[in-house]
Amino acid sequence: MTKLLFRAAIAMGFVGAIAIGQWNLSNQPLFGAEEGSRAPDPEVTKIAATGFDTIVSTWYWMKAVQFVGGEKSPTGLGDRVGDLIDVVTTLDPYVGHPYRFAAVWMKDDEQTVRHANRILRRGIEHHPDDWRNSFFLAFNHFFYLGENEVAADVLEPAMDMSNPPTYLPPLIARLRNQGGSLDAAAAFLNQVIEATPEGELRDAYIDSLLEIEAERRARFLDEARAEFVERHRRDIERVEELVEVSPPVLRELPPEPNGEGWELDDMNRIVSSHYRFRYEIKIDGTNRRLIDAFRARSEARRQLEMEEEGTSDDA
Amino acid sequence: MTPEAIVRVKGLVKDFRPGLGRRKTRVLHGIDFEVREGEIFGFIGPNGAGKTTTLKVLMGLIHATAGEAEVLGHPVRDTAYRAHIGYAPESPYFYDFLTGREILDFYARLTAVPNASRAARVAEVLEQVGLTHAADTRLRTYSKGMLQRVGIAQAVVHDPSVVFLDEPMSGLDPVGRKEIRDLIVALNQAGKTIMMNTHILSDVEMICDRVAIIVEGRIAYQGAIDGFDEAGDKIFDVTLASLAPDFVEEAATRFGAEPTGRGDRVTFSVAEKHVGELVESALRRGGQVLEVLGRRADLETLFLSAVNDRPESDTRTEEGAA
Amino acid sequence: MTGLRLIQTIALNTVRDAVRSRVLYVLLFFSLVMIASSVTLAAFSYVERERIIQDIALSSIRFFGAAIAIFVGVGLIHREVERRTIYTILSKPVSRAQFLVGKYVGLVATLWMQLAIMAVGYFVICHFNGAQLDHRDAIAVGLIAVELSVVVAFATLFSSFATPFLAASYSIGLYMVGHLTRDLRSMGENSESELIGTLTLWLERLLPDLSAFNRVMEAIHDLPIPPVEAGAALLHGIGWTVAFLSIAAWTFERRDFR
Repeated sequence: MTKLLFRAAIAMGFVGAIAIGQWNLSNQPLFGAEEGSRAPDPEVTKIAATGFDTIVSTWYWMKAVQFVGGEKSPTGLGDRVGDLIDVVTTLDPYVGHPYRFAAVWMKDDEQTVRHANRILRRGIEHHPDDWRNSFFLAFNHFFYLGENEVAADVLEPAMDMSNPPTYLPPLIARLRNQGGSLDAAAAFLNQVIEATPEGELRDAYIDSLLEIEAERRARFLDEARAEFVERHRRDIERVEELVEVSPPVLRELPPEPNGEGWELDDMNRIVSSHYRFRYEIKIDGTNRRLIDAFRARSEARRQLEMEEEGTSDDA
Repeated sequence: MTPEAIVRVKGLVKDFRPGLGRRKTRVLHGIDFEVREGEIFGFIGPNGAGKTTTLKVLMGLIHATAGEAEVLGHPVRDTAYRAHIGYAPESPYFYDFLTGREILDFYARLTAVPNASRAARVAEVLEQVGLTHAADTRLRTYSKGMLQRVGIAQAVVHDPSVVFLDEPMSGLDPVGRKEIRDLIVALNQAGKTIMMNTHILSDVEMICDRVAIIVEGRIAYQGAIDGFDEAGDKIFDVTLASLAPDFVEEAATRFGAEPTGRGDRVTFSVAEKHVGELVESALRRGGQVLEVLGRRADLETLFLSAVNDRPESDTRTEEGAA
Repeated sequence: MTGLRLIQTIALNTVRDAVRSRVLYVLLFFSLVMIASSVTLAAFSYVERERIIQDIALSSIRFFGAAIAIFVGVGLIHREVERRTIYTILSKPVSRAQFLVGKYVGLVATLWMQLAIMAVGYFVICHFNGAQLDHRDAIAVGLIAVELSVVVAFATLFSSFATPFLAASYSIGLYMVGHLTRDLRSMGENSESELIGTLTLWLERLLPDLSAFNRVMEAIHDLPIPPVEAGAALLHGIGWTVAFLSIAAWTFERRDFR
């Protein structure tokens, strides 16, 4: 009997040693991004962890990190990250970064963003003094879901948490008063870019920020154009006229954020020659391509789910 | 309880239950016996008769189903009195990572041998059992005989007044058996009462004062070794030679003795009262008398007859009720 | 000789015996390997590495501590009976309860030595990797020590009447259920079935709540551990240890050593 136990212990040891060896030596990620592998049910996992909740949570956290790192073109990435982070944060709700990780990586469509928001709310519950989870939740509501009032509601309590950033109060005020403004969007984006690891998504956010900057400068040019019309009783034919007339309305044109120039479009609006569009008065999003794709995916999923519902009803 | 009774067993019954739901088996059927102060008591019987079970009941290792068992006047469930008894189990096994000296020190501590004298006492006992040379080697390397001696040493390290030995000579060679036998006698001479289980009759005959024979969980005989003589006629082996052929048959019928022997020599086992008559008639018929040998106590005969005539339940032996 | 000295003698001998056990060294070795490798494993996460090092190391201590407790504990009494070493000891003026407690104390002492070694490994790893150490880590390790004493107590209990294999199964089962009573209770409370609710309530009442000794989460996240809770856990541990040992002594007292 003792011998048997001894052998069992040896075997356990070997398994451990081999696993560690693999971990250290292999260049392959330990946690494969195998297709269709979904994280288990969080509640079941919590029971199965039998007291080793934190380490099992850490295990799934590493899995999530490896999964995101291993994916080249993430399809359905948000859902999988969401499942994994659900397990991570159910087993150990006091983890810090995984909440933001979920917020950053769960952007596929409306459903994943709402899933991310549920995870973020768990984070707020367990870290009542950390404004960052509230910030990301507010950003999701504002940026992806266009729910500016909800964003403001979420952000408000964050002002009472420890060391909130100074831009929070004006940000909330703008969300409430103007139903969103370029300044609010820029403030959000600056923070989010800081938290987002290098990659496509970060580039998209940077693009968004440039877009917002372009809009802001375009609006500045609009004001200069109004001044021009008042002084000269005629409209500009080219944007450059703003500096060419004497006395010039502007000493120089603000640089286009992407290093290009400014022009008048078909509708006679001043636009960036890079973007060639202008935002409506009310901000409905900050990155046209990002948001358009996001909406398309959300719509597609809704369609798919309705169809599935239909099929299952038929069955 | 008589003052000199060191061990008293009365109506001892033991049932074993092999497992839940299975029928229990009775191993001891209400046995009675006594061990008296200063004697070497042999508890003998074939394998599986209940010797070890009885001894374990006395050591508190097995709980009796019914009946009484007392050692030194204490019920065997008590523990304190065990400071005054020693026990060497059959084929003893010890923590083999310890040396002979360490294991005896361990047992000496358990039996409250005073700290001051413990080392000296351990050395003394090692000397007594002849293990001084191996005192500081690990028990792992000990031979069976050496372990047997450690078994006896740990039983006496605290200088008990009674020593219980379970098959102390089993598995030993003739020299080893003699050494253990001598040791037992020496302990007895030093004033210790000894009860030993064994199935080796010659050892019993050589050293025991009294015996009890247990067969299938019942006491078949209990009494002094010398008591066998009184129990029946004393038997003599008479060896004769140069006998007329018809004499052998005639004598066999007349004295009720089966002749045994080879060639010219024939041995008759006859009762004491017939010896003279047999020798006289043999001489008269021209025969030679080669040897007349009295059997001191025929334990084997007694033992075999006890085993063959299985005792009925509730056998009361001649000494049992004393 | 007083009972305490008898227990001490048997306990010391148990320590001498236990420290020879190869199972113990193998498990200790791998626990130290795990603690050390926590640094490597933590590199798989780009953030919160200190937290992950602490988590892996403390969880390893808990896991291997419990494994040693169970695997050595279940053979504790059984081996003495199997090898018949118990015969000569119980023929001395040693009660079975004293013997049992002596063996128990000896194994707990051995385990605490192991735990001390693992804790030193943990503190060293934390120190050199910038993980913050404070009283919480000490409380967490202290409560692991209390938990191990409870685990050894029930392993001893099972060892007093079952074969090592069965005793190990029972012990592992009780260890797992002991960590789940809280979760099961909250599940039962939310359950619609009254039967399940009652069942989980009694499960919680009748079994030790081992999660009371698990303060790894607090230690790694620097969350407060209310002193009342730590104290209650200590009392809980002492209570269950006494309870398990009493039952073990009771069953052991009734056994026949054939």
